[in-house]
Amino acid sequence: MKLYEYIIRRLILLVFVLFAVSVVIFYLLRGFPTGIAPWAAYIHPRMTAEQIEAVIRAHGFDRPIWEQYFYWLRDVFNGDWGLTGIWAQGRPANEVFFNHFPYTVELSVFGTILTIAIGVPLGIISAIKNNKLPDHVSRVIALAGYSTPAYWFGFILQLVFFYYFSLWGLPHLPSSGAPDFAVAKIIGLPIFDGLLAGNLTYVWDEFLHLILPSFSLSFISLGFLARIVRASMLEVLRQDYITMARSKGLKERVVIYRHALKNALIPAVTLTGIFFAAILGGAMITEYVFSWPGVGQQALRAVFQGDSNFLLVYNLVFATVIVLANLVVDVIYAFLDPRIKY
Amino acid sequence: MQSRSSEVRKGEWEARLADMKYTLYLFRKNPLVMSGTIISLFFITLALLANIIVDPNLAYPEGYSNAIYPFERKYMWSVDNMINWGPGIALYHGPEFFYLGTDGWGRDLLKMVVLAIPIDLYYAVIITIGAAVFGTLLGAIAGYIGGVMDEALLRITDVFFAFPPLVLALVFAAMFGRTLETLVLSLVLVWWPPYVRLIRGQVLSEKEKPYVEALRALGASHSRILFRHVLLNSIYPILVQVTMDFGGVILTFSALMFLGFSPSPALPELGNLASDGYGHVFDAPWVIFFPGLTMLIISLAFNLVGDGLRDILDPRLRR
Amino acid sequence: MKEKEDPVLEVKDLRVDFHTYRGEVKALNGVALKLYKREVLSLVGESGCGKSVTALTIINLLPENASVLGGEILFKGINLLKKSKEEMRVLRAEEFASVFQDPMTFLNPVLTMGTQLEEVFMLDAEALKQAVVKQKSLRRDLGYSDFLSLKGEHQSPSTSNVEVSKAEIKKMAKNLCVDILRIVKLPDPERILKQYPFELSGGMRQRCMIAMALARRPSVFIADEITTALDVTIQAQILHLMRELRDTIDASTLMITHDLAVAAEIADKIAVMYGGNVVEVASTREIFRNPLHPYTKMLMRAIPTVTRSVEKLEAIPGTVPDLIDPPPGCRFHPRCPSAMEKCNIETPELKEIVENHEVACYLY
Repeated sequence: MKLYEYIIRRLILLVFVLFAVSVVIFYLLRGFPTGIAPWAAYIHPRMTAEQIEAVIRAHGFDRPIWEQYFYWLRDVFNGDWGLTGIWAQGRPANEVFFNHFPYTVELSVFGTILTIAIGVPLGIISAIKNNKLPDHVSRVIALAGYSTPAYWFGFILQLVFFYYFSLWGLPHLPSSGAPDFAVAKIIGLPIFDGLLAGNLTYVWDEFLHLILPSFSLSFISLGFLARIVRASMLEVLRQDYITMARSKGLKERVVIYRHALKNALIPAVTLTGIFFAAILGGAMITEYVFSWPGVGQQALRAVFQGDSNFLLVYNLVFATVIVLANLVVDVIYAFLDPRIKY
Repeated sequence: MQSRSSEVRKGEWEARLADMKYTLYLFRKNPLVMSGTIISLFFITLALLANIIVDPNLAYPEGYSNAIYPFERKYMWSVDNMINWGPGIALYHGPEFFYLGTDGWGRDLLKMVVLAIPIDLYYAVIITIGAAVFGTLLGAIAGYIGGVMDEALLRITDVFFAFPPLVLALVFAAMFGRTLETLVLSLVLVWWPPYVRLIRGQVLSEKEKPYVEALRALGASHSRILFRHVLLNSIYPILVQVTMDFGGVILTFSALMFLGFSPSPALPELGNLASDGYGHVFDAPWVIFFPGLTMLIISLAFNLVGDGLRDILDPRLRR
Repeated sequence: MKEKEDPVLEVKDLRVDFHTYRGEVKALNGVALKLYKREVLSLVGESGCGKSVTALTIINLLPENASVLGGEILFKGINLLKKSKEEMRVLRAEEFASVFQDPMTFLNPVLTMGTQLEEVFMLDAEALKQAVVKQKSLRRDLGYSDFLSLKGEHQSPSTSNVEVSKAEIKKMAKNLCVDILRIVKLPDPERILKQYPFELSGGMRQRCMIAMALARRPSVFIADEITTALDVTIQAQILHLMRELRDTIDASTLMITHDLAVAAEIADKIAVMYGGNVVEVASTREIFRNPLHPYTKMLMRAIPTVTRSVEKLEAIPGTVPDLIDPPPGCRFHPRCPSAMEKCNIETPELKEIVENHEVACYLY
């Protein structure tokens, strides 16, 4: 089928997935018999029983679950995503979400850049020097990244680069948080807006704060990327056309980069969709450890409070991002490999 | 007829044995896999012996009750090096030097880590195998039967894949309650979809192979074909995935504990032990450092085995 | 017929082993070959007898688990086995051109034919520079035949100082690509350069591979089973092309094939290989008229002929030798009707029995 037919089919699937996701989250957070009560986020210990009753009725938590879902759906189509609980000062859920979303995006983008910048060369080295020392070393590094507890690595980075560095009198990186948004919102991403506004001190400050969390995030996923690149490079290097290229007398470097790499990256790119989901998921703990004001940190609090409105926004947005990312990856695949025609 | 089929079966097993011997040969040739295996075996032995070497009651210090969540604690490295934030609930008994320091209650961290290893390994095994079995069976049956059931299962896994993995686990964990059993259930629910995809791909391609048609012609029942033949031929990638997943499961399990889902604050579990040091990274880094390091080594060891196994069992890289 | 000059390429007593899990595969057992200037030598043998291994050893493209145990490969007097990897690479670029069996798998699927052909020309930027200068003096477009004659011409001092821009070099490369595709009889060369391998037919791809080989103006042209993957009509076309080309290009050709008919079509000389050894070498006419080695004799008898009526197809009894545990001595002796005691002990060497006709057999 044609390319646009394929895309439309996938987008329809996206809508279905979004419905399913919303139903699952809705039921788990509001209808599930055990666990945190759906109104827990909106009350505090000093409320009287009547006040609690009033809160329950105001939010409609006393109505049957499918009625609640219907009202929620109706509100959503009108742009009202409901209010968050006390933990976020009761502001509208989508406002809280989109205030913090740019920070998570920024972190994920830099994390992805670092992952690709380190992971791809690591995989290539592993493949070229297969079963020799550089291969073993880079595989251990890659796997170590994959096996590192996210909560541990972040702290170690902070310990070394902030605490010990300052103890030893070395210039150090900030340990956590991010500077307040000091420039006008154009794109929405702090660093880029800073660049556009010409506020270089802000950009530099933000960048310094970004280094450790992005590195922490990328360290964990670069192992995954490196092993995919390695596997597909190994596969490609055994192909006949590589022998042919060598028989032409081409320099080995040309053989690797012009002939092998393009073929090898195709499967690596397709698997990027999956590992992007992993990065998004991993960002949550990294944000927690570094007190990075992103959406993951908020989501963590929301889970502990049982805030269904916020979590619905969170999950729906991320589901969209993941499905779209997979779609983009598939389309890119079609462009990279001239043999693929949808 | 009888002797012929047993001969055939013997031939089948001989072929499988030769194949396994070749696998072992490749296994031994690879230094990374070997070191991974040795370290994993070390930890497994440690896990089995842990409750004998260390008294499990040390995890629950005197005067400690499950219901009380201590909020003032003592952290110590050795007797002479004590950081005091107020009266602690547990008091150490007698002068000791702690090789890895202590945690907030004055428990010897080394002993706690040793106690934590069997718990982590045990639950990771249950979760991984549970997810693998569940996902594989579902995927195999759906792939084999095809039709509506297959489509439906695919859509369901699509939905699961749309969640960032940790979030789903958190939501399940938050809603199911805070016992270890529910935690296991939450993680199994998060981990089974990849197996469906994996086995389905294999089953679909095996289904088209001529030997399946031949077996049908011989009168074999569907379940026999599926379980004795198709599934057995697809087992290698599942095995690899299980060993690779083990590292990931153990990390997620302890991450959940770290975030606060443990049933009891005193439970010796690596993530739980690490969470104790959350507010005190700079003054008492050992509380986070050592449990996390142990977690890294265990996970790395199993991942080395899984990764090496993946290379060894790859049919295209075998001679 | 041929002057007794020195061969362009001479292989002496070449031994190559492969290390595999199941044991050492003793692929080449003392191969001896001589390839003369402007001659087409066909290396004929069954699958697995070591023909391709010989070719790969010559150009140093053996896989990692292979080792050369002994022997010499003399190219214009220089022993190739002693050369470094980089020196061999340069030789592959300048002197040895190879065309392989399956144009589908031997061409890079994600690069256009243009890219894959141009990069061969661009390997020698100096030569292209020379060509650009020459073109300016000729005042017409330089074709491949002119480019051929440039080879070996040393640059005169006046030309080596001329500035040639990168764009001009690229343009020269592109023009040569178009011209060379015309020489291998491909229609609409400009279009083909923009296409990907999967968009072309098998015959066209094979011609492109031949073009890539010619682009290097090689001294030795190695063709490894180039017609095997093609159907018979295309096969005939390619062979026809090869015959035409051998007059144009100044190279020696090593034609590897398992098909005696193909060898008969195009070769001046035929070398028969069996189990890792060359067992007989003679001119094409001679070997068909007067085969000496028992294996060659049985091969000739096994070819079905359309003209003569034959009752039974004569197959050679026995199977190909197991190269991990080969029979001692002459590797053919277990299947040989004239085997003697001696054959079991030592491998016979190639000896000239009749003029220009060598055999490796104790019968002579």
